Amino acid sequence: MKLNPMELYNLLPKTNCRLCEAKTCMAFATKMALGDVLPEDCPPLLEKGFEKNLEKLRDLVAPMQSAEETGIKLDESKCTGCGNCVVVCPVDVAVEPPTGRGKAGRSRDTVFIVENGVSKIINLEKCRRFPPDRLNCRVCEQYCCTDAIEIW
Amino acid sequence: MEDVVCNGCSLLCDDVVVEVTDGEVHSLGLCRLGHQHLLSSIESNSPQASTRESGKATEVSIDEALERAAELLLSSERPILYGWSGSTNETITLGLELAKTLGGIIATPANLGMTQALSHTLHSMDLGIDLEYVRNNGELIIYWGSDPTESSHRHPSKFAVLPRGENIPEGIESRTIGVVDVRNTETMKMANHRLIIPPGMDSAILEALVSEISGTSSIASDVAGIGPQELIGLARNIRKADCTVIFYGSGIINSGNADANLSGLQAFIEAVRGIGKQAFALPMAPESNIMGAIKSLSTDASTSSITDIVAGDFDAALVVGDDALVELPGSAAKALAQLPLVYIGPPGITSGKARVSICITDDVITGIGTMNRLDLVEIEFKQWNSQKEERLAEHDVMARLLELIRKEKS
Repeated sequence: MKLNPMELYNLLPKTNCRLCEAKTCMAFATKMALGDVLPEDCPPLLEKGFEKNLEKLRDLVAPMQSAEETGIKLDESKCTGCGNCVVVCPVDVAVEPPTGRGKAGRSRDTVFIVENGVSKIINLEKCRRFPPDRLNCRVCEQYCCTDAIEIW
Repeated sequence: MEDVVCNGCSLLCDDVVVEVTDGEVHSLGLCRLGHQHLLSSIESNSPQASTRESGKATEVSIDEALERAAELLLSSERPILYGWSGSTNETITLGLELAKTLGGIIATPANLGMTQALSHTLHSMDLGIDLEYVRNNGELIIYWGSDPTESSHRHPSKFAVLPRGENIPEGIESRTIGVVDVRNTETMKMANHRLIIPPGMDSAILEALVSEISGTSSIASDVAGIGPQELIGLARNIRKADCTVIFYGSGIINSGNADANLSGLQAFIEAVRGIGKQAFALPMAPESNIMGAIKSLSTDASTSSITDIVAGDFDAALVVGDDALVELPGSAAKALAQLPLVYIGPPGITSGKARVSICITDDVITGIGTMNRLDLVEIEFKQWNSQKEERLAEHDVMARLLELIRKEKS
């Protein structure tokens, strides 16, 4: 599921009121697309007249907020074991910093591990897409050259 | 788990670990290519030798096979000693000795273009950087006629595209990636600049980039089907980057215009250096020790081109470490298969056709010797103890064959 910040922005009050942390409504929409903020974090949106917009925004961000166990699929038959996912995954690099410099991962506390020639997801619950982070992170999918990783 | 050095491709990954328990192989960090190479090396671990007469193979002892091989090579007036790109540097040194002793000619798959590329004046331009330097400094990376996703799976993640380095703090976010190829390759998925060009048009693109980078003229219309905006954008990013590295492959070397393409690369590097930035060009080749073979054989060996095999210049062949009948172009493979053939190496198509075939234990298992990585850095194999069955290293077989031939000669 990809959230389009512009689509979210069009449903906001567009007042740039600065009542939230973001400096502009566009910045707020971008944060919402990444899962960093919720529609309720926009005070003017809770005011009378914006009920329909608030409902639409809640519907749009709901799939991301409800993601618990699914969202990433790794097709091992397509995987070449290149390790791109390990090197770009922020969680893996935080757990095992040498992987960020290209070293092969050995830790079993990471999201991905390249084992027996293919990448495997071993700790899906650590992915930043899921609670508590709920970020719309897709770097593994973005840099998987063989399209073995799919996020929906 | 034990540290190993993988010789599945020319990256010679030395940060991977393996464990073999009750025949079950478990690896961490090895790519699909490396893991499959390890599996097949373990499966064909038992040394075996055979001789073949009129198409009928007979299993013989290693000693008998070596005697038959020596006899066959000694009766030849002009043998070719082909292969070496999958052998250790120490085995190649023995091969050179053997070629001298027999008065034979030595050849490698590098003779299909890589040796010629490395002899081009391009490589007299102080290109001596290693892949660690690329990881730490390579800000603009271009894969030109090379596709690491197909042949050197970890090249982008370990060195050139994704990892963070000293001057590349954000990894891929700190780099710009370009891919130039004749088709839409999987590597292009990572690229900011994707240039799909018709075969043979590399030098035209290089020329356009050189003129744009050096400011002699601006690109106003399509070049080889690539629009001016795309080319100008790439040239702008090259001008901005402190260090540009081109990894060129068979698309540059084997597209029929190797000399023009390599001269184009040279002009490109001169142009980028002319604006005060760093620029390098490094070759890409998949064979595990092709760079070691080129380095060793460039010293004092009599080498041959592949066309000499087709022309029937040889009356016997020793093939070491390469499955030559699979790798060579059809006409050369056919000509080689018709010669009295001695084969030393892992089992394959060539071992099944040779008059004398000695199948050895792969160097990844014996863990002895050195090879040169793609960037010429020497990597030493690591010994590991999970494979304790009978081993027969290629190096040992070559040493025994050389000794036997020297004895017969004297």
